[in-house]
Amino acid sequence: MKSLIRCMLLLMVGVLAAAPAHADLKVATSLSDLASVAQFVGGKHVSAQSLSKGYQDPHFVPAKPSLMKAIQHADVFVSVGLELDAGWLPLVLPGSRNPKIQPGAKGFVDASEGVNVLEKPAGTVSRAEGDIHPYGNPHYYADPKNLEVVANHLAQVFSKLDPANAADYAEHAKEFGEKMEASLAKWERQMAPYKGASVVTYHKNFVYFADRFGLKLFGTVEPKPGIPPTPRHLAELAAAMKQAGVKVVLYQPYYSADASRQLASKAGGVAVCIATEAGGLPGTDDVFSKFDTLVSSVAGALPGKSGGAQ
Amino acid sequence: MPHGIGAKLRMFASLVAALVCVPGLAAAQTSSMFSNLANPAIGMNALFAAQAAHNLEQPYGLQFDEAEISLISVVDPYWTFSSNIVFLSDGSVDPEEIWVRSLNIPGVQLKLGKIRGTFGKHGLLHTHAFPFVQAPIVMANTIGNEGFKDAGLEAAWLTPLPWFSELTGGIYQGIGTDEDHPLDFGSTRHDNVPYLGHFKNQFDLNDATTLELGQSILTGHGADGRQHAAIGANLTIRNVPPSNSNRRGWILQSEYIQKGSSSGGNYAREQDGGYASFQYRLSQVWWTGVRGEQARKSVTDFLVDQAGDPIPGKVNRVSANIAWMPSEFSFLRLEYSHSQADAGNGLKPNDDRLMLQMSYTIGYHPAHAY
Repeated sequence: MKSLIRCMLLLMVGVLAAAPAHADLKVATSLSDLASVAQFVGGKHVSAQSLSKGYQDPHFVPAKPSLMKAIQHADVFVSVGLELDAGWLPLVLPGSRNPKIQPGAKGFVDASEGVNVLEKPAGTVSRAEGDIHPYGNPHYYADPKNLEVVANHLAQVFSKLDPANAADYAEHAKEFGEKMEASLAKWERQMAPYKGASVVTYHKNFVYFADRFGLKLFGTVEPKPGIPPTPRHLAELAAAMKQAGVKVVLYQPYYSADASRQLASKAGGVAVCIATEAGGLPGTDDVFSKFDTLVSSVAGALPGKSGGAQ
Repeated sequence: MPHGIGAKLRMFASLVAALVCVPGLAAAQTSSMFSNLANPAIGMNALFAAQAAHNLEQPYGLQFDEAEISLISVVDPYWTFSSNIVFLSDGSVDPEEIWVRSLNIPGVQLKLGKIRGTFGKHGLLHTHAFPFVQAPIVMANTIGNEGFKDAGLEAAWLTPLPWFSELTGGIYQGIGTDEDHPLDFGSTRHDNVPYLGHFKNQFDLNDATTLELGQSILTGHGADGRQHAAIGANLTIRNVPPSNSNRRGWILQSEYIQKGSSSGGNYAREQDGGYASFQYRLSQVWWTGVRGEQARKSVTDFLVDQAGDPIPGKVNRVSANIAWMPSEFSFLRLEYSHSQADAGNGLKPNDDRLMLQMSYTIGYHPAHAY
């Protein structure tokens, strides 16, 4: 009998030990990169989860009811902002019935605040130009520097909601910035030989990376944002690439590999699958490993290609 | 300088100064008095169709179906306002949905106003979101071709169960039957408050596939003294591959609805029927679908007597379509349907029709429910 009681006590201790540590803030994000930054800044005080996977097109995340359920008890919701998640978030947020994270509430965060936004449309916005984002290009998370802005922003939000751990959040954001700066120096050294090189991307979601590392964007597989490529567009772009000596086509796992490969083949170049969101490819679980892989992929594709190293 | 010229120069200078200042004043007044910063998000959808149906006495050709204007905005920290006003081909205007929503009670969504009652699956869709040009025949014979629309109050509670489980309750205004409301809730009894219950459960079978089950009931007192009701059940299995969410996927959906009435404890089944459909996404811009359906004791536009008046019968229909969606904001859909009806008195007409539907959307358009 005594041994049975001991076994049960041991089992209870085991179960308690195996239970996840209590987090002070439950954080949900619309993008995997934001969850990665939130977890770094929050440390043990935060449990962060992303509603979209890194291999999912962040424009077209199905607004499944299970996503609403997942954020029913969240304390903070971090949106990419700039209308990247506007196709599904207006269903998921109200569907959660969670007043703490609705736009305007203390727990709702627009992560684009403070970011230097590129490609803000000047003048009238028209869908004749495709599915453009009227507030500017929302793919700012492809620039490591912008994630430092996000980290500082999240530290402020977490501190307001959980003042007891404010010092930890500030310290973690500082550590994040230092780690990102050190990593950025390494990535810039890797990319330095290819400054001025031209690449083609599937969608206009590489602008911030190109701006940071001095690449030129020659064109996109899509004729206009959100519009699928036509044979005529691919033929014209391939001819232009050949003439200019551009031989690298970059595409994310959620875009058509066939169209990208077809274009690269016609232009006599290569198509490379890249992850611009954490978790998009194996070995890209957080934002640091994402950039490690992304920089290696791009730098690895450019040497020896005309239009590559200058 | 002569005095006259000096006065003229001063007048000219004053005129120039006034002309320079007027636009500034106008701008200041506009920004301070007539700010448009809090204007609602505005969107509009228009539906056009061409139909070739040999049984119907109408010319083939393009026709305007309807246009829907939507206005959405936040009222204050407590309410969000949403409206859909529909302009119909006969020139009439239908305030289809005008409601406010509150999310201030944790776990509960409150809707108040002219709402689309949460009954079933197809009945929640706006016309331009129908997966087929024609709504299932059972809809117009039970709760309404476009669902149950009435003034009322609904509360939808997200239960604490570990999966998405939603329980909705609603009360509505008692109204009689008309073209949009097949259910007779027209009793003038003071206690005639039609009410609705809906239970929806959704499970993720894996990363790509979901299973949804729904049950609904809607009941109230009729002008004939009987209690009228509709009950329904729906099942949807949907697949959206995560890395191909904008290019691949399929939806298998079925629904059954029954309308009936009771008096003195005796229930009489009236119209009932259902459908099963399969939609498949071929690429980013191409969708195709097939649907089979049956409606019993039901009326439809080609099942008529010699005087041209509709008569009830059993109707079977199959439909197939293909849709081209060059962007998220427009589509062109070609659909064929074949129907067989049996009025039970030897009248067994068949119907074949070919339809072409076009949809165009401008401005802000809220995402459609999953």
